[in-house]
Amino acid sequence: MEQWVVVSIIVGAYLALTLTIGLLAGRKSSDSVTGYVAADRSFGLLVMYFVTGASVFSAFAFLGGPGWAYSRGAAAFYILAYGALGMAPFYWIGPRAAALGRKFGYVTQAQLVVGRFPSRSLSALIATLSLIAFIPYITLQIRGAGIVIEAVTEGHVPIWLGSLLAYGIVIFYVLASGAMAVGWTNTFQGVFMVVIAWSLGLYLPYRLYGGVTPMFEQIIDARPDMLIPPGLTATGEPWSWGAYSTFILVSAVGLMMWPHLFMKAFTAKDDDTMRRTVILFPTFQLFLIPVFLIGFSGVLFSGGPPSADFILPYMILETGLPAVVVGLFCAGALSASMSTGDALLHASASVVVEDGVNQFMQLDDRQQRLLMRILVLVTGATAYYFAQDAESSLVLLLATAYGVISQLAPPVISAMYWRRATTNGVLAGLLAGTATSVFFYLNPDLKPFDMHEGILGLIVHIPVLLAVSFMTPTQSEKHLEGFFS
Amino acid sequence: MSLRTARVLTCIYLALAMFFVTWPGLVPFARIEPLVLGLPFSMAWIAGWIAGSVFVLYGLDRVERRHRDGEDS
Repeated sequence: MEQWVVVSIIVGAYLALTLTIGLLAGRKSSDSVTGYVAADRSFGLLVMYFVTGASVFSAFAFLGGPGWAYSRGAAAFYILAYGALGMAPFYWIGPRAAALGRKFGYVTQAQLVVGRFPSRSLSALIATLSLIAFIPYITLQIRGAGIVIEAVTEGHVPIWLGSLLAYGIVIFYVLASGAMAVGWTNTFQGVFMVVIAWSLGLYLPYRLYGGVTPMFEQIIDARPDMLIPPGLTATGEPWSWGAYSTFILVSAVGLMMWPHLFMKAFTAKDDDTMRRTVILFPTFQLFLIPVFLIGFSGVLFSGGPPSADFILPYMILETGLPAVVVGLFCAGALSASMSTGDALLHASASVVVEDGVNQFMQLDDRQQRLLMRILVLVTGATAYYFAQDAESSLVLLLATAYGVISQLAPPVISAMYWRRATTNGVLAGLLAGTATSVFFYLNPDLKPFDMHEGILGLIVHIPVLLAVSFMTPTQSEKHLEGFFS
Repeated sequence: MSLRTARVLTCIYLALAMFFVTWPGLVPFARIEPLVLGLPFSMAWIAGWIAGSVFVLYGLDRVERRHRDGEDS
């Protein structure tokens, strides 16, 4: 049997197993609204650890990470640097948001912000921003899945069909089983990702160069410029410190503002589990080290993939690994893509319905669930459409989304920690920050010090938030008491 | 250790970590050699700050938990 057939069979079996777990999980949940809460309540530390890790790390880390190490060298280290820093403040923010959520019945972060700063436009604005950020993020996951499948089947299954297959399955189990499926498949996929990253990341350098040290010694001889931060740009020029540093900063600020991650604070009932997940998260984060090693192992390898994002499947195909092993590795990469993609699809639909539509019209429970399902389909289809564009690099897609999502940090933090903040201040800051980052996104040549547009947005956002808040009257003591007692 | 001290120390560690993995804190450490566990120095340096945060957060959690238990009883 030809190798690509064997690989396809294994990948097919993996997809079938994911689908089964997704559907079985759904049978356990009583109804789709409280199912997620119930599931998370029963999640112990180990499950929570893998669920969080799997939803944070996606096709972006698993394919984009090696792609960056391979083509841009030390620039990839930014991905290693931000995760633990972004997650750590959640040790305090998470339980506090959870307490407010229990008190007032919040399930999304927009509800938390709008609870403190009552304004329907604010709610709709946050829902819109979330959706704008979600689309490139989901696009990236879908494209990642398609890349893996196209590469390992040697082009027999092209990107459009591969991504359609993988995400057809994701959409099917998200529609059928809701969030319970997301929780259980993520646990399975999280374990899979970690095991595969570490085994492949240590094996490839060993097999090609005789070990990690000899591999880097050879790269030092041939391409020393690659290994010194801030690394290179996509075209091989030296990258700027301004861009490198602000990529870390914007990602750290934005990380926990992703609705699909922040919402875990409202669904995890047990604060201690949440705190311990934060403590242990950096250990999951370190799985990026072998992921980068996979990319570095390709630097001196003769020949190369058509695009840097293909480096992981390219390396495992070119190094003559047994077909069974190749199949398992591809399943690992698919895990990374699908475990984030499902959570994103689910969260984007919930946010749009809860914070957008619900603010302006009355829907009963059944209508809400129906609307959410339609939105899962529409969002998936939109992202699928964008995923067919071969020009987009996985990492850049996500970095763009981070610029938008990081603008949610000042409103969320002010809602919980700053008594003097006012509704007008928050609204003005959010508008100014978003407008600034959109402006610099469209005019990249004007960016001072090559800084990320999200950070430039925050530089405008925070002073506007402060100034307008101080110019408008303080919220009533009675209202504030609910949040700060 | 008091709760306040533990929180301040944790924040100092996180601020230092942010400083030393970006410009300008990373500049003196943005080099390849010596290799640490086979990794280029700057990569091991960044990974070290990440790994260190596990211990710092664990220490913080011990203090926070003792404080919470004290409140309950």
